[in-house]
Amino acid sequence: MSEENISTGRDSLWSKSRRKLMRDRAGVAAMIVVGAYGLIAILVYLGLIGENWSTLGEEGFGGMSSEHWFGTNINGQDIFSRAIQGIKTAFEVGLVVAVTATAIGGILGAIAGYFHRTIVDEVIMWLYGCIDAIPFYLFVAAVAFSLKGTDLQPWGMHIAMIATFWSSTCRIVRGEVIKIRGLEYIQAAKAVGVGPLTIVRRHVMPNTTHILLVQSTIAFVGAIKSEVILTFLGLGVVDGVSWGTMLSESTSDVLRGHFGNFLGASGFLFVLVISFNMFADALQDALDPKKVSS
Amino acid sequence: MMLFRTINLVTCLASVLLLTTCKRPFSDRAQDLSVFRFSENGAPVTMDPVQSATQYANLMTTSIYDQLYEYKYLARPYELKPRLAEAMPEVSEDGLTYTYRIKKGILYADNECFPAGKGREVTANDFIYSMRRLFDPKARSQGAWLWQGKIKGLDEWKEEGADYSKPIEGLRALDDYTIQIILNKPFPQLTYTFAMGFSSVTPREAVEHYGKEFGLNPVGSGPYKLKSFSTKKAILVRNENYREEIFSLEEEGYDPKTQSGFGLERLEGKKLPIMDTTEVYFMEESMTRWNSLNKGTEIHFGGIPTELTHMVAEELNPLVLKAKYAEKFTAMNLPDLGTVYLYLNMSDPKIGHHSDPEQNRRNLLLRKAISAAYDWPQRSRRFYNGTAALFPGTIPPGLDGYDEAFTPEMTEPDYEKAKAYLKEGGWNADNLPVLDYNGTASVQNKQMYEQFRGWMEKIGYPRKKIPYVPFATFGDFNKAVKQRNCTLIGMAWGLDYPDAENVLQLFYGPNGSPGSNSSNFNDPTYNEMFEKSVVMQPGPERTEIYKKLNQIIIDDVPAVCGISRNTPFIWHKNVVFLPSRNPHGSLFKYALVFDESDDQ
Amino acid sequence: METLQFALRKLLYSIPLLFGVTFISFFLMVYHGPDLTYTILGKNPTPEQIAEVHRDLGYDQPFLKRYFLFLKEIITFDFGSSISSGEKVSSILKKSVPVSFMVALPAFILSNALGIILALYAANHRGKKNDKIIMVMAAGGMSVSFLMVVIAFQIMFCTSYGLVDWFPVQGWISPPPNYPDATTGEILYYYWYYYWSHVTVPTLASVFVALGYNTRFFRAVIVEELNKDYVRTARAYGVSNRKIMIKHVLKNAMIPISTRIIITIPFVIIAGNLVVEKFFGIPGVGLVTYDAITNGDLPIVKAVVTSTAVLYVIALILTDIVYKMIDPRTSYNQ
Repeated sequence: MSEENISTGRDSLWSKSRRKLMRDRAGVAAMIVVGAYGLIAILVYLGLIGENWSTLGEEGFGGMSSEHWFGTNINGQDIFSRAIQGIKTAFEVGLVVAVTATAIGGILGAIAGYFHRTIVDEVIMWLYGCIDAIPFYLFVAAVAFSLKGTDLQPWGMHIAMIATFWSSTCRIVRGEVIKIRGLEYIQAAKAVGVGPLTIVRRHVMPNTTHILLVQSTIAFVGAIKSEVILTFLGLGVVDGVSWGTMLSESTSDVLRGHFGNFLGASGFLFVLVISFNMFADALQDALDPKKVSS
Repeated sequence: MMLFRTINLVTCLASVLLLTTCKRPFSDRAQDLSVFRFSENGAPVTMDPVQSATQYANLMTTSIYDQLYEYKYLARPYELKPRLAEAMPEVSEDGLTYTYRIKKGILYADNECFPAGKGREVTANDFIYSMRRLFDPKARSQGAWLWQGKIKGLDEWKEEGADYSKPIEGLRALDDYTIQIILNKPFPQLTYTFAMGFSSVTPREAVEHYGKEFGLNPVGSGPYKLKSFSTKKAILVRNENYREEIFSLEEEGYDPKTQSGFGLERLEGKKLPIMDTTEVYFMEESMTRWNSLNKGTEIHFGGIPTELTHMVAEELNPLVLKAKYAEKFTAMNLPDLGTVYLYLNMSDPKIGHHSDPEQNRRNLLLRKAISAAYDWPQRSRRFYNGTAALFPGTIPPGLDGYDEAFTPEMTEPDYEKAKAYLKEGGWNADNLPVLDYNGTASVQNKQMYEQFRGWMEKIGYPRKKIPYVPFATFGDFNKAVKQRNCTLIGMAWGLDYPDAENVLQLFYGPNGSPGSNSSNFNDPTYNEMFEKSVVMQPGPERTEIYKKLNQIIIDDVPAVCGISRNTPFIWHKNVVFLPSRNPHGSLFKYALVFDESDDQ
Repeated sequence: METLQFALRKLLYSIPLLFGVTFISFFLMVYHGPDLTYTILGKNPTPEQIAEVHRDLGYDQPFLKRYFLFLKEIITFDFGSSISSGEKVSSILKKSVPVSFMVALPAFILSNALGIILALYAANHRGKKNDKIIMVMAAGGMSVSFLMVVIAFQIMFCTSYGLVDWFPVQGWISPPPNYPDATTGEILYYYWYYYWSHVTVPTLASVFVALGYNTRFFRAVIVEELNKDYVRTARAYGVSNRKIMIKHVLKNAMIPISTRIIITIPFVIIAGNLVVEKFFGIPGVGLVTYDAITNGDLPIVKAVVTSTAVLYVIALILTDIVYKMIDPRTSYNQ
């Protein structure tokens, strides 16, 4: 990575990356799968498909049939529709958490990095140090409980995840910014008298976009997976259906010999997560400046 | 090729593991016959009698401590018999003065809290002390409400600072063996309350000696004393100072027609407690409990997990085990002495009482619609193996006041009727109120909620208007209920004594939250009739009032009811034991483990 | 001596961190935590009783006063007794921490050891077929939810629907039956037997899930090390591949690897694995703490959070010391 690359040629870096990404066949396939999931999520959100997820059936634990592809659950509800609803929930959780956590992490990381070796940096490092020292599930449980009875209650899980997920982005961005801020054009801007916040906003943060992009895909996957566990622990999705609620139900279903909930939820979850992971890998490879030059 | 080496390694490890795990430890031993190993699906937190509100705690305190009375082991419905008391009490004409005489020469178990460690004699003053302690704020009693406002001077004693040296007019020891209780107003259930673990006769020395840890160091005069305790296991051993008590089928109310299959005849003439040691295992996970029972060498008594009933049982109602299990086990469905409700919070103007008569009428129709759409039989089929007892109203079958004309079919849903109610009240999808569904956050509660929402959808209630608002723990949920913050409240009530008064008081206005009336139902007619009934002795007249009160609950729908669950219990063939329900405690002393090979 | 000084200095620096952790946990778990009053009082409390218990538990004290009381407890390391059972917190932890540790230990060792072996193998064959197979498998392992694995393994190993029905679905070693004539050997065998019967499936599941992450991480570290100039130089001098891998690459890669391993230790020891413990009904410290948070049994929560934080800080210092001990430059210049 040369200095010109950063100061003048942002477009070329991006277009190069795009080309690289398009050449990665597995990456493209993964992107298509993720896109399909996204489309379903939108359709569900608009109420166009998967609407009969709450209708009770006559008898519980129905087998697979043309009407119910994955059978029905204890309440006779269609598991396929519920799995589709789970996509919507997963995207909602994933997007909210990924966007917010990376935004917070990016901003704080850029600030900390820019003000490296000052009190601001120390405070931000201290903050994520504290968060890292508290076991994740206990922290989430605590956040969820402290929000009980407030209007934020349904968002307890989201808030808890955001509060923990920002730290890794912050750490990486901080490291990158420490590198960037020694570069000449930043020094030049400083010399001309541009204010520090402007420098951070206009010159430092744009150069961390590739990190944010990759980090947000990681956070997205992390959020979806954490949702499952948190819901199992009784801390997650309250209303509606998620893969977490389905898997929680399945723990007793499987002992009775009914696997619909388990197969439905884990099938959808696995395909989405593996696609997203592959997509994230491809993205990382494409955006990695070291690989651009090699 | 390292990959394959790794796989090899793993398989090797696995097979080594397998080899070493072939033989079950102690599997070559004969079953230990000197210990009865009982299991429960929850653990008591403490064995302090004044805090023994749970069935787990009650079972422990009634085994370790003496109460004045106890329930006959086999009589169903439950019947009292004297325990520490000599006989049934002498009651004055006006029903206000009770005289209890206690047995002489009953000794506490030996304990370091007594001089020279020797258990002293139980006296009437111990009972007086124990009752006072229930009202002592320092003891954090959970049982005081049972006697609140009932015993003359006791509430005032508490308000004046709970000074043990001050006398109480209505609670006195006439001599070492005679207790006199004077009531403010008649309380015919009084003697029942003296069979509860709450009213255990406790020596003051122990409370003072152990202080904060008294709950973990119980000292009583019951058949057993506590040898060790953890949240997983308690060991009870025979109290050497226990009096001579001989088992008699007739006195315990044996019914050969329904109870002949349990081997209870073996107990005749045996000295109680039969087993020297009883170990109580607290196993919250039903699967753990089942595995332990199945091993054969561990617990003797447990339950069948709901998930496995289809695998274990041939038939569920009545419970018939599959041949493979019938060889090893005896089992029965034990009915709950209690009911499950969906309370509708009547203090919430959206659905309950309303100052505007028109709105009040419409709310009533909405409640009727909810009740008519509530499918109790389906609830029982899906969540209780289809074995629950179904009945309208709040009084479960078997209790005085239950209308014999009721049938389970009366709890079937009627969606047309429900829709008609809604129409009559002018309710439609737009103006129906949002109703929060409350409960503790568990998978099963959520499933029950979804079932409920499904029924409501059937009568045209929009899905979004019945949101789920769960609480992480029962404590949190209970707090919200007590603060009247919940709308639809799924809860169960276990009876404290076998008298319908205990469920009817759940709808008595002045008992509103934080009292036990979680629906905050407050109806002048109901209150008046209830007040009349509580001071009446059992009899046809009171039964009539009970029936009327029950009918008001059915008509006004402050709660959707009712169902009484059945739990499948299962125990080893060589064990003689008949499980029972709270408030029936003190069961361990009757348990017998015998050697099957002696029978041939 | 130098190391000790270094450690002490680091410890001093970590005081603000400890302060922050305790403050956050106090704010969330203690001040805003659940209210135990209604659990204590049972089904029919009166308003006066509620007020009494509130006062008793100190819920009516001002924020700062409660926090300072908490700090005092931390400094004396005396957290008192559990509110609900009256049992000493220290004795609760004494019982549950070893259980968590014993459950987590096999998985911890296996997932790290196997991870390093696989990563070394993959890095050594990077770009080739076996590397790709391992990496795809790692990606697959990373994409399953732990809950899925646990459920699937339970079906496979613990129920009659699966491959084998060898292991119990839930539970932990119960105290051995009281045979007066039981020999020590028999009792040891009893513990050994039930230890493995309860720990095998959780271990398999944990390893399955952690292995993907570990392999990927370790491989990345090793590959980065392999790309360094000194490796090329060493190769040029004809040093054998095996020697380079073990003596240099692995040694240098040990820094990030051991950092990662050491940092997770406090969580293995104290925090336990909540999901495993909850799912398999194991009475470890994770479950105890979780129950304490949900029940509002504050003394336990305070003790666990504080101990985790302290251990975490110690682990951080330890990694710094390790870093100093395996310094890449000194090792190559020898």
